[in-house]
Amino acid sequence: MIEFCHVSRSYGRKVAVADLDLVVPSGELFAFLGPNGAGKTTSIKVLVGLLRPSSGRVRVCGFDVESETRQANSVVGYIPDEPYLYDKLTGREFLQFIAGMYGLPTHVADERIAREIARFELADFVDDLCESYSHGMKQRVALAAALLHDPDVLVLDEPTVGLDPRTVRMMKDLLRERAAMGTTVFMSTHSLSVAEEIADRVGIVDRGRLRCVGTIDELRRRSRSLGKMSLEQLFLEITASPDEAAAAAPVSASPDEDAA
Amino acid sequence: MNDASVNPSRASREPLDRSFPARARVLAAPEETALFWRLRRRLMTNSFRESIARSRLRVALATALTLVLWVGLFVLFLLGFEFLDDAIPEPVTHDETVRAMYSIFFASLTVMLVISNAIIVYSNLYRSDEATFLLTTPARAERVFLHKFQQGMLFSSWGFLLLGSPMLVAYGIVVEAPWFYYGVLLPYLAAFAYIPGSLGAILCMLVVRCIPTNRVHVLTVAGVLAALVGGWLMWSLASRQTSELLTPGWFLEMLARLRASESRMLPSWWLSSGLLEAARSGWRDPSARTAMVESVLFLAVTTSNALVLHQLAVWTAGVTYRSGYSALLGAHVARRRLKMSWMDRAASTVMRPLSARLRLLIVKDLRLFRRDPVQWSQFLIFFGLLGLYFLNTRRLSYDVNYASWVNMISFLNLAVVGLLLSTFTTRFIFPMISLEGRRFWILGRLPVKRDTILWSKFLFAAAGSLVPCALLVLLSDLMLGVSPLVVWVHLLACALLCSGLSGIAVGLGAKLPNLREDSPARIAAGFGGTLNLVLSALYIVSLVVMTTVPCHFYLLATQGGNEALLLNASRQWNWLMLGLLGGCLLGIAATAVPMVVGFRAFRELET
Repeated sequence: MIEFCHVSRSYGRKVAVADLDLVVPSGELFAFLGPNGAGKTTSIKVLVGLLRPSSGRVRVCGFDVESETRQANSVVGYIPDEPYLYDKLTGREFLQFIAGMYGLPTHVADERIAREIARFELADFVDDLCESYSHGMKQRVALAAALLHDPDVLVLDEPTVGLDPRTVRMMKDLLRERAAMGTTVFMSTHSLSVAEEIADRVGIVDRGRLRCVGTIDELRRRSRSLGKMSLEQLFLEITASPDEAAAAAPVSASPDEDAA
Repeated sequence: MNDASVNPSRASREPLDRSFPARARVLAAPEETALFWRLRRRLMTNSFRESIARSRLRVALATALTLVLWVGLFVLFLLGFEFLDDAIPEPVTHDETVRAMYSIFFASLTVMLVISNAIIVYSNLYRSDEATFLLTTPARAERVFLHKFQQGMLFSSWGFLLLGSPMLVAYGIVVEAPWFYYGVLLPYLAAFAYIPGSLGAILCMLVVRCIPTNRVHVLTVAGVLAALVGGWLMWSLASRQTSELLTPGWFLEMLARLRASESRMLPSWWLSSGLLEAARSGWRDPSARTAMVESVLFLAVTTSNALVLHQLAVWTAGVTYRSGYSALLGAHVARRRLKMSWMDRAASTVMRPLSARLRLLIVKDLRLFRRDPVQWSQFLIFFGLLGLYFLNTRRLSYDVNYASWVNMISFLNLAVVGLLLSTFTTRFIFPMISLEGRRFWILGRLPVKRDTILWSKFLFAAAGSLVPCALLVLLSDLMLGVSPLVVWVHLLACALLCSGLSGIAVGLGAKLPNLREDSPARIAAGFGGTLNLVLSALYIVSLVVMTTVPCHFYLLATQGGNEALLLNASRQWNWLMLGLLGGCLLGIAATAVPMVVGFRAFRELET
């Protein structure tokens, strides 16, 4: 379970995340949707302990991310948009290091590494140095590494960017599968179609504020009630600049109410 | 394997196996230490194996160059210590002199190591992808710090070992030190290097934690203050001498003024004293045994201080690293709207004879240089310090009666300007092509010949370095009051140096690019950068010898001293002309050959 309790985070005077209050329960796949610079990555960095909130608290499976960072990180599997692998390690050595980092006993680590190699079909390149991998290969090894310790929470920042269609399909299936098994999946994305297809709930964030949150059906209903034909139109409406919003005045209801 | 080869059906067919009893857990400190040591060992083994398998020639050349440098320094120090042994045969005075020299040398190194480690720790802890990745794992902040800090220590201390070890081994040979001396050398150097290293790390973490947003301003002010203090120190050393220059009295006076570096509280003094005691140690007589014990005691003092500072650094990391990282990551970077400055306009006007494309490319590089404080601040500091030193050389022209000394110092000043320039061309010009790496498609797709891109880099480097270097050389010559002939020879040599060093850096940069690396410091520290530095040094020495030695002898022949009786002026004039011609040819070759090699390589470069 993930709990953002009135989290705000500023960069100097610029507010990147404003009063984010959100709970993502176990077994839910939550898609964090928003335009560039909306505050998605900042929220994720706060969630994985890289950034500390200016105010508010974040808890992961009951662990406070700020004061119990290690415990919180031990139950999280995190895949950033540009995953880091050691150039001078092979994929297998990297997986062994990660297994060691999460304290898995050797025999368990070996079995799980074999399992992930098979799942992501890494066998052909897993013993090559990571410096020779393409972006897609790196992403798959990073995903395998994030799943090694069977995390209770999976956090993904733009997981489908730069991947080929087959890998994207595999990623979507995997995330749904994890959610079905009880893992909390928190994913940021630009892509409405990905969110529509796999997310249990979607949160639309813009200029640091969570403008709208609900299931896809709830958002569709809301979209129709606002006279919009599609989710895309709703998204564009919510994330329009103030000038654009003023131009489209008849439909500018206050969506903040939904965020609560 | 193709990226598209993942089997989604298999992924969905095989449900996740959660039957394993093992759950993730946070590691205890010793387990974590063992894990990170395994990681480090594995990384080193893989890097070594790959280097041996793929770039044997590079490894062999780098090893050979390092050995040549080490042996060269060793011979230099050996001759120096032998000279000192002959000049000061009395043991107590000899020991005091060596102790003072060691103290000054190691005190200077302490300051340099504190600064360099602070910079390296900053880059390793706060600006590295690896640190960001490790902070998202359950690793302790202290362990992440230690991992990156020790990595940085190895990186920053190899130069210290390369400089310090030949000197200390040479001293041991000259004074016939026992095996004990050589045995404690490495522990002493390691313990000593750890002290300024830890201090630099603590300083860096505190600055980042306490003033994340104003750190650049604070450090700039601190840097300027340090430069002023350094300048004042140099001024006070050079301006208030009472003894005649380069006499024993002057030497003792200088040592007395630098007595501050011999404070008993400084690690440099513990190191100097401990090593001198070790050199005198032995089993035979009681005084030698006492020396051995004292050496061990000094080693214990140095090591225990290193360990305390190590603990303090680890504790500081535990308290400040994560919060400092967050503060730094969250520091607001103001967006700046920048327009064409008067500098760009002036440069465009000066470059009007050049083609518009060439001009645009040069102005682009000029903008990048202007907007990167790391580049111009280092440029200003080093050239500023050199300028300060040249201003001080004025005293030499009053004190030294021999014109030959003044001339020789002016030649050495020219060589120093060249060496300083070569470090800048290696650090900033050589990596320019490599840094275009990921952006290369922009330049590659422009309707500009690739040769034009290289020409733009060359002209930027050569023209940009000529003005400050020529001004420095002119300043040195004016302060020393040398003859107009020497000034003209120096200006010609300076122009050749700028052109040749720029040609070497740009040509080699295009021939040996490192398109994977984003950090110019790492590019410069690689094989290509090292080769660039070595070739530049060889070029500087050759050019300075070819142009200035005949000039020196010609001046001796014409100035009417005792030497004039032995030297034939017209013959020396011919030698001078020949030297200048040779220097010009060498300068043209140093510019043209690397550029031609670079053009060829750059035309075929695929990204």
